[in-house]
Amino acid sequence: MDIGKLKEYSNLAQDIALTKKNALEKCKSRQIFAYNNRLFRADAQTITLTNTLKSHATTFVILDVNENPCQIEDPETFLKILLQKNQETINGYQQVLDKFKQK
Amino acid sequence: MTKGILLYCFDTEQTQYHLLLKKCFNQIEKYLKLPVTVVTNQQTYLNIKDLKANFCIVENKSGNTRFYRGQNVPWHNMERVNAYDHSPYDQTILMDIDYFVFSNELIKYFDTDYDYLLHDKVRDITGKNSILGKNESTLPIVWATVIIFKKTEKSQLLFDAVKLIQKNYSHYRNLYRIKHRNYRNDFAFAVAIHQLNGMIDNKNFIPNPMFMLPHEQDILEFDDTGVLFKYDKKIGILQETDVHILDKEFVNV
Repeated sequence: MDIGKLKEYSNLAQDIALTKKNALEKCKSRQIFAYNNRLFRADAQTITLTNTLKSHATTFVILDVNENPCQIEDPETFLKILLQKNQETINGYQQVLDKFKQK
Repeated sequence: MTKGILLYCFDTEQTQYHLLLKKCFNQIEKYLKLPVTVVTNQQTYLNIKDLKANFCIVENKSGNTRFYRGQNVPWHNMERVNAYDHSPYDQTILMDIDYFVFSNELIKYFDTDYDYLLHDKVRDITGKNSILGKNESTLPIVWATVIIFKKTEKSQLLFDAVKLIQKNYSHYRNLYRIKHRNYRNDFAFAVAIHQLNGMIDNKNFIPNPMFMLPHEQDILEFDDTGVLFKYDKKIGILQETDVHILDKEFVNV
């Protein structure tokens, strides 16, 4: 067994794992946005919930990231912001990961 | 509604905090583009008077210390409790001068109706989770590094409570079994929030963790887009992400 090679691989794996975690946290942080005086995260759960509620009502109330209720008066615009923020941030995360694929 | 940044800066014999302030100020100018007010003492002011900021000169309390790289060093952190009075703005971002913005992410928190927001979670960017020890107190910690507050009755109550806690810190330290002997704003704000919320857990925080580099790790390079840091025998990079840097020697980098 080549211990040197193993160590090198392990070091690289640690670098990649750390960079991925920091990049993912950055991505999640950038998903936060203010809407109607409340804070929301443009994650899959909020997008799915909004899309579901939107198909049943023209206006509805959901909880923000700190579990405070917020009236969504314009679900169409809200969903647009969610999708845009979500894709912006996840694309950024993907770009970071793509750099490591070459390594 | 006026918006701005409030910073506190007091040089000590060990640390030229004004050098940190200059770096912090440059980052704010680039990313946040908001007016800055610096609370400082006469001696430190002489080193920073060229900055395009408003200055508030005070006589700072001394006597507090903090543990830094194997020794206790002077730490002038007692004035932050007066931030509500010192801030000339309706909406303020109060931040430590060793917190560096590499984005405009903080701005969005102005657009909410929260009276105040601060972090309750932290991320050690070296991945070691070495920032917070176990059993440091019986209440959940908050981080006073960045506090976004509005001039409202509730915010004033928060700062009044922190003043009271600072004045009677040994009592509150015993009450909440805070391990650290020195005065820390993090714990003072944690106690104040706990008490103001009727001793029930509070959930109104900045929803993402604060990125932090422990004081054991060195900054190798710092430019206006990010930092290059050393951890173990490796080199890490963090870009376009706001970060709290505890290494104080890097100001000479």
